[in-house]
Amino acid sequence: MEALFTGLGALYLAKCDAAKTGQAFQAFLPAGSLVRAAERLLKANYYIEDICAVDCVEGFIVVYHFDHFEAPGRLTLRVLAPHAAPTLPSIANIFDGAEWHERETRDFHGVVFEGNPNLIPLLIDPEMADCFPLRKEEKARAKAKDMLEAGEVIYCHPSFTLMTPDAPAEVKESSGDQPATA
Amino acid sequence: MTTNPIIDHLAGDFYTQNFAKTAGEGNLILNLGPQHPSTHGVLRVVVELDGEYIMRAEPVLGYLHRMHEKMAEVKTAAQFIPNMGRVDYGHALGWNWAFVGAAEKVGGIEVPERAEYIRVITCELNRIASHLLWWGAYLLDLGAFTPIMYAFDDREKILDILQIPTGSRLTYSYFRIGGVAQDLNAECIRLIQEFIPWFRARLPMYKDLVSDNIILRKRIENIGVIEQETCRRFGATGPVARGSGINYDVRRAVPYSVYPKLDFEVPTSDLKCARGRYDVRMIEMEQSLRIIEQALEMMPEGEILIKGAPKPSWKVPKGEGYFAVEGARGKIGAYVVSDGGKNIYRTKLRAPGFCNLSLFAEVSKGTILADAVAILGSLDLIIPEIDR
Repeated sequence: MEALFTGLGALYLAKCDAAKTGQAFQAFLPAGSLVRAAERLLKANYYIEDICAVDCVEGFIVVYHFDHFEAPGRLTLRVLAPHAAPTLPSIANIFDGAEWHERETRDFHGVVFEGNPNLIPLLIDPEMADCFPLRKEEKARAKAKDMLEAGEVIYCHPSFTLMTPDAPAEVKESSGDQPATA
Repeated sequence: MTTNPIIDHLAGDFYTQNFAKTAGEGNLILNLGPQHPSTHGVLRVVVELDGEYIMRAEPVLGYLHRMHEKMAEVKTAAQFIPNMGRVDYGHALGWNWAFVGAAEKVGGIEVPERAEYIRVITCELNRIASHLLWWGAYLLDLGAFTPIMYAFDDREKILDILQIPTGSRLTYSYFRIGGVAQDLNAECIRLIQEFIPWFRARLPMYKDLVSDNIILRKRIENIGVIEQETCRRFGATGPVARGSGINYDVRRAVPYSVYPKLDFEVPTSDLKCARGRYDVRMIEMEQSLRIIEQALEMMPEGEILIKGAPKPSWKVPKGEGYFAVEGARGKIGAYVVSDGGKNIYRTKLRAPGFCNLSLFAEVSKGTILADAVAILGSLDLIIPEIDR
């Protein structure tokens, strides 16, 4: 599973307990490598389940769920879209079904997917399409690390703190290394 | 597109105009629906026609959009259960199960064994009812009027049965976090036991009179071929994927509840066309009967709701969970993210019909309009589920 993400600059990789969370594996990616990850997943015969956004303090966590027909096990990709400029690259040219999911996410949260071939309102009336009903008020937002399952960490980029509540082993090591090398 | 101000308003609304921008010279833009019998509710499809051939098609959604995902954020988990019956009136119990299952997963709640069997029995009965609804309506689309009368005769019996424990006939909100609302009483079990042989005897008749009918065969064979790769790109599941030869059924692939203990087959078809999807659903009804029969026999006595089951004010603990069940139309998923507050922080509902319909634009390209209706029906669409 980790092999799928080598060279993509993943920020966070973790194995999850499928019985507890319904996910087998999760990867937090920088927006720039999303399209390449999707290409690899299509090649590995994954299918797209859905895309949705979760409005957190840190920004919109856009969650991509994939699963596999022959080797079931949900794979979750997460990408951060900052509140100030929520723009992500579209994967609709790889997984065609993503077109509608991205349009829905734009309707609900106002996350813009660049490269989506037809980014017009899908479920919300075009005349009131910029109401973004699922955006939360600032004080109602919770932290991603408090809600999202951290899982069993395989890799965590030293600068990545979004998913690491109590600083797992990797982070401690790297922060411990710094004074040693300094 | 016209530039004549007098007839500009005839150019259509936002979606038609947006669609017409790239239309070919001399092609006709036609709106199918939203008020059209063959679109099963309020689905609208804009098509670009060259003669009778479809050059391009685009489904337009949202006519039945109710923002269930927002409603989930202003209600407690238990208060949200009735919404699930309204998301998909065809297979309401499948949706009940998906949401309740996700909440149970995050809350770490075990369901008593008897409740699991009751869930299986009612959910499978509901699946048969849903397939019968599809079957009758699909044949109506294709010009056969009588089958829906038979289908609704059978379906009526199921509604009568499900009315006893659930108290409703269509928009069930029967499952509870930690079990079900009511036990199956003796009358209900007797009716189910009567229904199984009765319906089993009807299926061969449907095969003789309808499935093997030459007119039906000419209408649905080799129409709307969906490749496996297309299913992956669009995320098609359920009978649509199985009709293309993908052996994928959540009940077997990611076993939940007591399904691993039950002996049933997952029908697939290699035809990949509308016929394949038709065949899969017809066999699935038989398999559901098998499941119900076994479940009735194996169902133990006991509780139907765990002791200390969550009250309406129960808060879903912090965490996230994704629970999927096999609905009549495919994989129904509920993704729940909770911050431990009064209401669930974020609920995402994955509707199988949404993904299945999204491939229509690609599959209908190059077919004639009458065949497009046959393809649309073969996807088994329930619009409230797609629009949510």
